[in-house]
Amino acid sequence: MKENEPRKIAFPRYAEYNCAIKYILEQGLGAKCIVPPKLTRRTLELGARYSPDYACTPFKTLLGSMIECLEAGADTLMMVYGLCKLGYYGELEEQILRDLGYEFDFLNLAVYDTGKKRDFLKAAKFVNPRFSIRKLALAAMDAFRMAEYLDEVTGELYQNCGFQVRPGGYEAAYQTFLNALYAADTKAEIEVAHQAVKRAFLEIPIEKPVRPLRVGIVGEFYTAMDEFSNLEVEKKLSGMGVEIHRWMTVTNRMIHYPGEKNLNVKIRDLSQYEMGPTSTANIWAARQYAERGFDGLMHIKSANCTPEIDVMPALQAIAQQNRIPILFLTFDSQSSDTGLMTRLEAFYDMIQMRRKVIQ
Amino acid sequence: MDNITIGLPRALMYSRYGVLWRGFFKELGARVLISEPSSRSTLERGSALSVDESCLASKLFMGHVDALVGKCDYILVPRIASFSHRARMCSRFQGLPDVTRVTFRNAPQKFLTYEVDVNHRRTEEDAFLHLGAQLGHGARESRRAYRRARKLMLRHYAREVRAQEALYKSDGMKILVCGHGYVLDDAYIGEPVLKGLSRLGAVPIRGDLVDRDAALRHSAELSPTCKWQTNRELVGCIAMNRRRVDGIVLLSVFPCGPDAMVNDLLLRRVQGIPMLNLVLDDQSGIAGIETRLESFVDIIRFKEGAL
Repeated sequence: MKENEPRKIAFPRYAEYNCAIKYILEQGLGAKCIVPPKLTRRTLELGARYSPDYACTPFKTLLGSMIECLEAGADTLMMVYGLCKLGYYGELEEQILRDLGYEFDFLNLAVYDTGKKRDFLKAAKFVNPRFSIRKLALAAMDAFRMAEYLDEVTGELYQNCGFQVRPGGYEAAYQTFLNALYAADTKAEIEVAHQAVKRAFLEIPIEKPVRPLRVGIVGEFYTAMDEFSNLEVEKKLSGMGVEIHRWMTVTNRMIHYPGEKNLNVKIRDLSQYEMGPTSTANIWAARQYAERGFDGLMHIKSANCTPEIDVMPALQAIAQQNRIPILFLTFDSQSSDTGLMTRLEAFYDMIQMRRKVIQ
Repeated sequence: MDNITIGLPRALMYSRYGVLWRGFFKELGARVLISEPSSRSTLERGSALSVDESCLASKLFMGHVDALVGKCDYILVPRIASFSHRARMCSRFQGLPDVTRVTFRNAPQKFLTYEVDVNHRRTEEDAFLHLGAQLGHGARESRRAYRRARKLMLRHYAREVRAQEALYKSDGMKILVCGHGYVLDDAYIGEPVLKGLSRLGAVPIRGDLVDRDAALRHSAELSPTCKWQTNRELVGCIAMNRRRVDGIVLLSVFPCGPDAMVNDLLLRRVQGIPMLNLVLDDQSGIAGIETRLESFVDIIRFKEGAL
């Protein structure tokens, strides 16, 4: 990094949320953000080659994405932390990349997680020593708004795209929306992009039955949202003519989280305690879907995700109690498209036949 | 208390808190039933009850719970989440009571739970007061029982640490075996490894039995952001003792998440001493493990010019 030049900082690919991360880094901290290339088989193969065998799959995906960020010109990498193994991603990824010979600065937010919120300002200082708190706070608020819009629009997409009269309309409008978010520099541009996509969605003709087949998706915080990691399972299933609902999004979990205690009330017979960062929300959401008469549940996780493994017995209990089919999908670095398609088709056939029987 | 019986599964946290639990319930006049040491059938039963992907240690735990179901009034399954901001347990220990209850939802069995989550202001002492209250004991009685049992546990642990400390000064090839207490203590998975090393003429030293406060301080030298309490103790033990031993065995069970990450980091950062990364899975037979231990011991002998 040269003096007086902004850092070229990159956060590995996380579904489409990189647009919000880019916004904070660029508008809030004055850095230059390198948007990681789209995830491909190569990304995952790169990551899997250098990762411990039974690390969870997102670790491998993120490591591969970090390598691609460095190849794309980033001089600084950034990593967040979490309550599960995610809390240790940063330290191990940095060590692996350094052992491979890459040179970069590393911003590991786990280092600043000392229990005192003030210490995170040191992390901002690391990115830009002359940053302004006011600018950062304003940019963060805009970026949260951006992420909210993203989650809202993504939800709308998968609830409707399976019923469009001519295929492709929803996807095209969604892509335009994403492009606009990645290009947005101001709050106004975010609002315009949101309004444009809502209008575009409204104009797309759809033919939806009064009671379409509905499937509720619950799952892990990375794999359930990232379409590369789950082999576009939402696109595949909705394409068969299914309305897809997924509560688990970054904004629902991080910003609008109703709180452990109040979510727990409805599921106390299955889970009295928090079992992991997303366990309560997932069990709660699954029960909601089951009680609201959904036609099926789907649980999506990566291989070796401990908290989500612990959620599975509770989901099995919900499926039994409410007599609702549930499909457990685990994605690792070798999951194949064809295998998934077969399982989805079988699942679709089952929920469709079940609908005919119970109607 | 008219002789209610509390079942203690001899798995997971039993190795760490067994003395505390036994002492506490004895003080309160309850009987304690401890499941038999693990065997092949414990694991088979546990595997059948668990989600495939669960780790070997938690499958064993389910096997032990299953062995107690129907034989006692309550089975103790604690939830241990955190000890401080940077000292947590693997999320498995947070979910254990719920997973166990759901797994055995159709069995006529009651479970007892206590919750240690210091980050959410639930200390161990409060947890034991609550545990006593669930059995109908007052706060004073429970507190006294807890404090006495805790003293017993600390004394017992200090003795165990002293015994390991003495091994560092013994002659012969010393091998530090780093694995969680519940792995090393287990008759079916950890013991064969320790015995195997002894049979090969080496002195196995348990890495989990270490002065915990010192180990936690030293762990930052090797891995500053590691948050798992038991892993930090092992990392700290390696930081403190790596120059006093001839080799290190990292012993984990498949697929332990924290170990997968931390042991990979250790293999990268700890240099200049032979290290063996040994992962136990539920394949039957110990022959494969014995071969690996043998070749590891041979490597150390070769390096030291004794072969």
